[in-house]
Amino acid sequence: MTTGAVSLDQLVGWLSRFRDLVTEQQGYLTDLDSAIGDADHGSNMSRGMNAVMEKIGALQAEGAPATSIDGLFKSVGMTLVTSVGGASGPLYGTFFLRMGVTAGPVTSLDGAALSAALRAGLGGVLARGKAEAGDKTMVDAMAPALDALDASLDAGADCAAAASAAFDAATAGRDATEPLVARKGRASYLGERSAGHLDPGATSTALLFEALADTLGR
Amino acid sequence: MIGIVVVSHSPALARSAVDLALEMVGESPPPIAIAAGAGDGIIGTDATRVADAIDEVASAEGVLVFMDLGSAVLSATMALEFMATTEEVRLSDAPFVEGIVAAVVLAAAGASLDEVDGESRAAMDAKRGQLDRQPAAVHVKPVEAVIENSGIDVTLVNPDGLHSRPAAAIVKAMAAFEATLTIANATTGKGPVAANSLIGILSLGANTGDVIRISGTGPQAAEAVEALGAMAVDGFGELPDTRIGA
Repeated sequence: MTTGAVSLDQLVGWLSRFRDLVTEQQGYLTDLDSAIGDADHGSNMSRGMNAVMEKIGALQAEGAPATSIDGLFKSVGMTLVTSVGGASGPLYGTFFLRMGVTAGPVTSLDGAALSAALRAGLGGVLARGKAEAGDKTMVDAMAPALDALDASLDAGADCAAAASAAFDAATAGRDATEPLVARKGRASYLGERSAGHLDPGATSTALLFEALADTLGR
Repeated sequence: MIGIVVVSHSPALARSAVDLALEMVGESPPPIAIAAGAGDGIIGTDATRVADAIDEVASAEGVLVFMDLGSAVLSATMALEFMATTEEVRLSDAPFVEGIVAAVVLAAAGASLDEVDGESRAAMDAKRGQLDRQPAAVHVKPVEAVIENSGIDVTLVNPDGLHSRPAAAIVKAMAAFEATLTIANATTGKGPVAANSLIGILSLGANTGDVIRISGTGPQAAEAVEALGAMAVDGFGELPDTRIGA
């Protein structure tokens, strides 16, 4: 499906697919969050990503769509910050804003540029949330996903195959959050009682990489 | 005066906390801006609203930001990247309600960002003092006992002792004097604490009938001690027959 580089249109497709996945799984994400959080992760993510796609649609309708990847992701990040309300607003918002800054005013990303942008996004999430690996957060899905993406690209795979490897690693990372005791976010209020549940943020992050893999032609 | 920003998931919570604090100050409150709620009536926080609130109250004297919990803290840290002002903006780790009340009172008295920040962070100690629990990490700054012969002892006559409203009145009144005053509860042995510290005064747990000892140093210490003594004798305007307004 894909050649060497990921286009602006494909990135919009990624966002659209992510919107679809979090909306389809809204109830599941909220169920996970009701076990260890405040039962709003599904509705927050669905509302946020629907706002993102409405904004993209509105800009297209005005004849002024984002013409570069930094512009696209800046708009995505700011829309999430203003529409989500919960902690996933500033966290996913920071992820996309940092991705945009690192991607720059370009219209496509090759494997190395995609990796660099995603890495910058992860760096933003780490800085914003002050979380580390093993804290039972979205980082536990995102960090292994990016390691797998890089390993795959280094082995000569194209972006589609690398995204597929990233999705597999994100899923494994998500599953590995189940026995963990939360050390960040609302779930950390529960202490030991947070163990035995998947982390909702890691679960939505796995959907983010599922969407990327789907869009790039897994 | 420094600017104060209140960040909450709930607009109603933020407004009520600010209203409570404003009860303590008179006609000239500090600049206060609220950033609460997100999107269209969602319970949550929005970093761009926090940034706008900071810019609204920013001045060379600085801004102190109070947050309730969770995403409020994330949104406030993110707002530091969005705000336009280049003045000093500090995020407070003070307890929400106690911190806002202490900050508004001290800011209205013209205190600096450092003073207001420190006072707010010590705000849990008043509550711990009332419950006889030991302070955790932050303490009300102990004050050296000052010259004995400059002090006076006054018995508290107002119905509720040194609760928050008279404490706020003391902080405000003492800002006018070039003097450093301390108040101790001579009945219980608590204190002395600085008379410009709302939280310190509350931590005395001084009730009706307790004797408070007012002492001071500085060029206007005698006048300040006398003024504070007069306020206490007058029951801080809270005696039924002397009550003026609210």
